Amino acid sequence: MTISRWARIAVATVLVALTVTPALAQDPPVRIGYAIARTGPWAAGSQVTQEPNYLLWAEQVNAAGGLNVQGKRRKVELIGFDDRSETDTVVRTFEKLMGSDKVDLILPPWGTGANFAVMPLIQKYGYPMLAPTATGRKLIEMKNPFFFALLQQPDRIMGALADFLAAKGAKTAAVIYVDELFGLETVGALETALKAKGIEIVDKKSYPLGVKDLSPVLRDFKAKNPDAFLGITYPPDTFLATAQAKEVGFNPKVFYVAVGSAFPVYKQRMGETIEGVTGIGTWNPKTGGPAKAYFDAHVAKFQKEPDRWASAHAWAGLQILQQSVEKVGLDRKAIRDHIAATEFETIVGKIRFKDGENVTTPGIVSQWQKGEFEVVWPTDRATAPALFPKPVWK
Amino acid sequence: MEIGRTLWLDLTLAGLITGGMYALVAVGLNLQYGLMRVMNIAHGEFLMVGAYLAYWAYTLTGVSPLLTLPAVFVALFLIGLLVFRLCFRRIARASPSVEVLEARSLLVGFGLMFLIQNGAYLAWGADLRGYEYLARPVEIAGARFGANRLVVFAFAVGVSLVLLALLRFTLFGKAVRAMMQSPRGAQLVGIDVGLLHPVVFGVGLALAGVAGALLSMIYEISPAMGEPYTVTALIVITLGGLGSAPGSLLGGLLLGLVETYGTHVSNPSMKMLLSYGVFVLVLILRPRGLFAR
Repeated sequence: MTISRWARIAVATVLVALTVTPALAQDPPVRIGYAIARTGPWAAGSQVTQEPNYLLWAEQVNAAGGLNVQGKRRKVELIGFDDRSETDTVVRTFEKLMGSDKVDLILPPWGTGANFAVMPLIQKYGYPMLAPTATGRKLIEMKNPFFFALLQQPDRIMGALADFLAAKGAKTAAVIYVDELFGLETVGALETALKAKGIEIVDKKSYPLGVKDLSPVLRDFKAKNPDAFLGITYPPDTFLATAQAKEVGFNPKVFYVAVGSAFPVYKQRMGETIEGVTGIGTWNPKTGGPAKAYFDAHVAKFQKEPDRWASAHAWAGLQILQQSVEKVGLDRKAIRDHIAATEFETIVGKIRFKDGENVTTPGIVSQWQKGEFEVVWPTDRATAPALFPKPVWK
Repeated sequence: MEIGRTLWLDLTLAGLITGGMYALVAVGLNLQYGLMRVMNIAHGEFLMVGAYLAYWAYTLTGVSPLLTLPAVFVALFLIGLLVFRLCFRRIARASPSVEVLEARSLLVGFGLMFLIQNGAYLAWGADLRGYEYLARPVEIAGARFGANRLVVFAFAVGVSLVLLALLRFTLFGKAVRAMMQSPRGAQLVGIDVGLLHPVVFGVGLALAGVAGALLSMIYEISPAMGEPYTVTALIVITLGGLGSAPGSLLGGLLLGLVETYGTHVSNPSMKMLLSYGVFVLVLILRPRGLFAR
């Protein structure tokens, strides 16, 4: 390479730098980092409930001219990594994002375990985190000032379920639960809630994640003929319990499957079978105007529906972050204090935190009716009256 | 706990059906690893590919998954020939002993596993998918079962019997067994190992694909679905005796029965303990598997 060529490259570089630098100085983007599962076993959940919301939100914010940082519009730049469904990768990536890349804000990873793993880091580096897919008293009890749980906690959800059952006059229930942190805590909350309402548990069995056959248990339950079947289940097992209850002809008056029943794929996969099935929900497009707008935008961008539980909580988390930045700018301590002290208007209604827990969103029971997961309990949030007893399997 | 007569029948049939599924998952790997010692750890990934083929055929064109089975078989057979040509042929030729072949093919299998899984993520995304097919219940002597599970069971038994007959009673079967016992000796007596090897590997892959297509009628599918099936397949073929077609069928059925009865009297959470308990017991009492000769 000749000297003149080097000179030309140098000149060109300077020119490029001159043209680019003013643009950057004027308008540095707000860098928001996260690690989330795009591959591995967590991806099925994170890619339905969580990451699509990040992408949709960033697109909408940028289309509107950028994120309002105390009156000044700045573009959002998402820096997302695949955590490959590995806890250590989650921790390493967040350490890098906060420790060396020094991003402006972070968004949470998917799932209780991953959130649990990054909690010490967000406190160390002082990044507020609004988690839409983390449940459990254990997380709240850590009293991490930077952690905010958007979902209802198990005791709230199970309390609402027990209220619903009592209101419908159910006296007996058979319970299965997944043998894992979420299942154990939730079934404990369920037992307390049912006891308070005088509902008897006629049988209770645990099962391992990834179970391939639940028919022996369901046959037992069928013989005991309880009023309600309550499954504290995770997505693949939610499908399995539904399909096999139909196979063995187990027809309780209430059929409840916890996580995954709010997923659109549940409807696609099971078709008319699920008419009358209940589960954990929060919202649907009928909940209100903003919810409908969110639903439509989601479908338009991804050609798939958001789930009827945590998707909207993920969106609400982004709304809260956006409103806080607008108010107090990018000082993360100030954002944290603002989130902790303010009541926010979101698509799932008002949200206020107390010690990191969302204390305004009640536990909600939803039910599939003619292709929509209708909110049926509590009645002041209901989008349709409950079908009770649940129709016989189609 | 007392078990009544109908429940007895219920549980036995349920156990056999689950066991049949295990056997079906294992058939393909039994050909590859059991007979040829090619440790194709990406077995579950090819099963996943078969499941996606059936899923797309059904959701896009409405073709019954049962009708797509031959197409899935042929497609995966051809992929199998290609994979063998690209990845395993040199290893099979260059390995000085079967132990070395096992170890080397295991490494290649891992690579394939990552490639195929991530390819599936790129192509189809991470979403859980599924469809409803033959989900209606069928009544047998008062007990009710999903029609799709019965189909899978029939298929598992059918494939195992056909394979058994092929290996035991035909010249082809003799050639395959000879190739396994002594590749060089087989060549000396005029067996075309260069042809037989890829064909057997391809059939193994094709059967994995068919198993996946059948299972897609029952379970949700996702790019990560394969690994647990690989583990199941390994347990079943080791339990039954490597390379033994009846062993892998009966091994699968035994596992299914133990799990069903075990979870009935105890708890589904005990499932792992029970199946590994049986596995360990068999390995202690008959280290070469139930049906090894």
